[in-house]
Amino acid sequence: MKNGQTQSNNKPSRWQALREFLFGMIGMEFAEHAMEMRASLESLFMLGTVGDMIGVPVLPPYYSLRLLPYIVPHITTWKRRVLREREFSDEHDYHLDGL
Amino acid sequence: MNTLWIVVLGTVFIYAAYNFYAKRIDRDIIKSDAKKATPAKMYMDGVDFMPTSRNVLYGYHFKSIAAAGPIVGPITAANLWGWAPSLAWLLIGVSLIGWVSDYSAIMVAVRNDGNSLSAISHKLIAPRTRTILFSFIFFYLLLVAGAFMGIMSSLLAARADVPFGIIMLGIMGFLAGQMLYKWKMDLVLVTGIVVVVTLAAIMLGPLGAVNAEGKLDLTQGPISSAVIGFNKAVDGITGGKAVMTVTDPTIADPRIPAPNAEGVRPSTPSYNAETKEINTLPSYLFWALFLLGFSYLAATLPIWRFAQPVNYIGFWITLLTIGFSALGAVLAPFIRPDIGAFALEAVKAQSWLPEAGKAWQPLWPMLFVTIACGSISGWHALIGSIGTARQLEYETDGLPVGGGAMFTENTLALLALVAVSIAGAGGGAGRFAAGVGSLLSVVFGSSFQLFGTALGFGAFMVIVLTVTQLIFRVMRVTLSEWVGETMPVLKNMHVSTVTSMVLTMLLVLTGTWVYLWQLFGAANQLMAALSLLIVTVWLKEQKKNPSYALWPTLFMYITTLAATLVTARNLFVTIVPQGGSAAVGAWAMIIISLLLFVTALVIGWDGYQAYQRYSKVPAKKAAAATD
Repeated sequence: MKNGQTQSNNKPSRWQALREFLFGMIGMEFAEHAMEMRASLESLFMLGTVGDMIGVPVLPPYYSLRLLPYIVPHITTWKRRVLREREFSDEHDYHLDGL
Repeated sequence: MNTLWIVVLGTVFIYAAYNFYAKRIDRDIIKSDAKKATPAKMYMDGVDFMPTSRNVLYGYHFKSIAAAGPIVGPITAANLWGWAPSLAWLLIGVSLIGWVSDYSAIMVAVRNDGNSLSAISHKLIAPRTRTILFSFIFFYLLLVAGAFMGIMSSLLAARADVPFGIIMLGIMGFLAGQMLYKWKMDLVLVTGIVVVVTLAAIMLGPLGAVNAEGKLDLTQGPISSAVIGFNKAVDGITGGKAVMTVTDPTIADPRIPAPNAEGVRPSTPSYNAETKEINTLPSYLFWALFLLGFSYLAATLPIWRFAQPVNYIGFWITLLTIGFSALGAVLAPFIRPDIGAFALEAVKAQSWLPEAGKAWQPLWPMLFVTIACGSISGWHALIGSIGTARQLEYETDGLPVGGGAMFTENTLALLALVAVSIAGAGGGAGRFAAGVGSLLSVVFGSSFQLFGTALGFGAFMVIVLTVTQLIFRVMRVTLSEWVGETMPVLKNMHVSTVTSMVLTMLLVLTGTWVYLWQLFGAANQLMAALSLLIVTVWLKEQKKNPSYALWPTLFMYITTLAATLVTARNLFVTIVPQGGSAAVGAWAMIIISLLLFVTALVIGWDGYQAYQRYSKVPAKKAAAATD
């Protein structure tokens, strides 16, 4: 529900709004955690293949170029994620919900 | 007074505050603009920064901020000062301060590239503010873990109908994780199985525990009598003697029995009515260890394996209990006026002046830290700036998400106040459970009272336990992150988890969980004051009118500073003289409260200087610097 979601000019129906509210309460934590796990694995893969883009050359450029067509769509968001200044409280373990 | 009045007052206050005050601030001061790009759009990375529908975020933010805090606070406050002061603070606090904190923290983070409040304070106020905020978080976690562990251990030891449901919650948590993630079973089916089984286990705790006169007798039921037998066997290790004795001058410990018809508290194995000493029996320590074991699993296993499924089950149990109780509160005045009427006194007199050797609980400042999350909470601001602000799709969603979730949480606190106010006798959690039982009996009939009360106890335990298990998870990461470099052994998650638990138990063994709760509330409210201070300084820097955040900042700051000193005084006067481990825990709490006081003074001074600095910068220069 979260990916690619945009708020159009048309207001969601009450039923749709309720569904979204319930998803936010019940499922979003699961979805976020799954995405974080996937992102951490993908980050490793990206670092291995195109790490030289952020100054960490790991794989010889030949293989990086072979994989490049598959990686291109993710490069921008990956670089944002990896190069962003982080605090340790950003980690999922700090998502202390419910106080 | 009855439940309907609370519904009416709550509706009027929330409607007026949201529509006539919050919307005006959003429109005229913050000037939220749907056309401005939010960090979620500018820095979209598919994980942390992600534009999300405001309905989803509203649910997510509400779920993130609403659980044990808004329930435990009003219960404790109503027992200490009566329902009227608690109601007044809940309604006025959320209307003038609570939503301001949640909403403003989100908007300040949105206007600062999605940075957290600590990062913003580093930039706006002083570098050390960030460090101090982190130390606040650790103390906050330690205190809340102690407060929650204390009340849960007492409850499990005192109420034989409660442990079975909690044991089943743990088993079902494991099973849910296995079924969902390993066996890939359907979510609806898994939800149906684990929630129904856990609910049934919670409600069956007092099954058959009714004597010939129709009154609750836990020695009669098969499940509760088995637990009583087990407790006796554990107590037999010391021949029924106490491992240690403590006194609770606030009389809030669940091991202290409720007064009988003559208004006298009887002696029990856990409580000596003559000396007013609470006996810490081996069974109490066993249940404390059980809870630590439960939390240990949640803190060290992969989050999907245990902590997350337990939270998921807990969410449904809480939702069902709270939902039906709310329905009961609305219906009670029409179909069961006897239940809807308040039995708790409106105002309980507490001395404004301290008496030598006695606990001192003046309405100001102690009410304002005892009820924290239902009115205002610093934790919300931290969560809002780290999570919600990075997912806001439009700036104009900030108010319905941040403010809306805070107002909704306030209704949860009002419901807890209703439950505790309609119950006739008992204290703390017992009164809350009895109130929930009464409200559920409005919906499901009088015969449901027994099971409804068990569900009240169960839901209370579930709400508190699901938070506590995560607290230990956060504590072990915090500990290894801070001290891991100098003490590498703490990088081991098992060592850091056990260390966190030992520190927590040291506080629990003082036997005075109310002080722990109030100190936690003070730490929480100080964080709220500091987040409001950051908002105030930011407003000043932006040359906006800071009044709507400045006055709440001053009120919360002065109130919570005073509360830390009063709590330190209470500990020194009433617990330290007891000696033993109670005194060690009390000294630890006194040191923490003084540390909170001093660090808050430092942040306050830095904030004042930053405020003065930005006051002297001309409007044009400030705007240019921001651009």
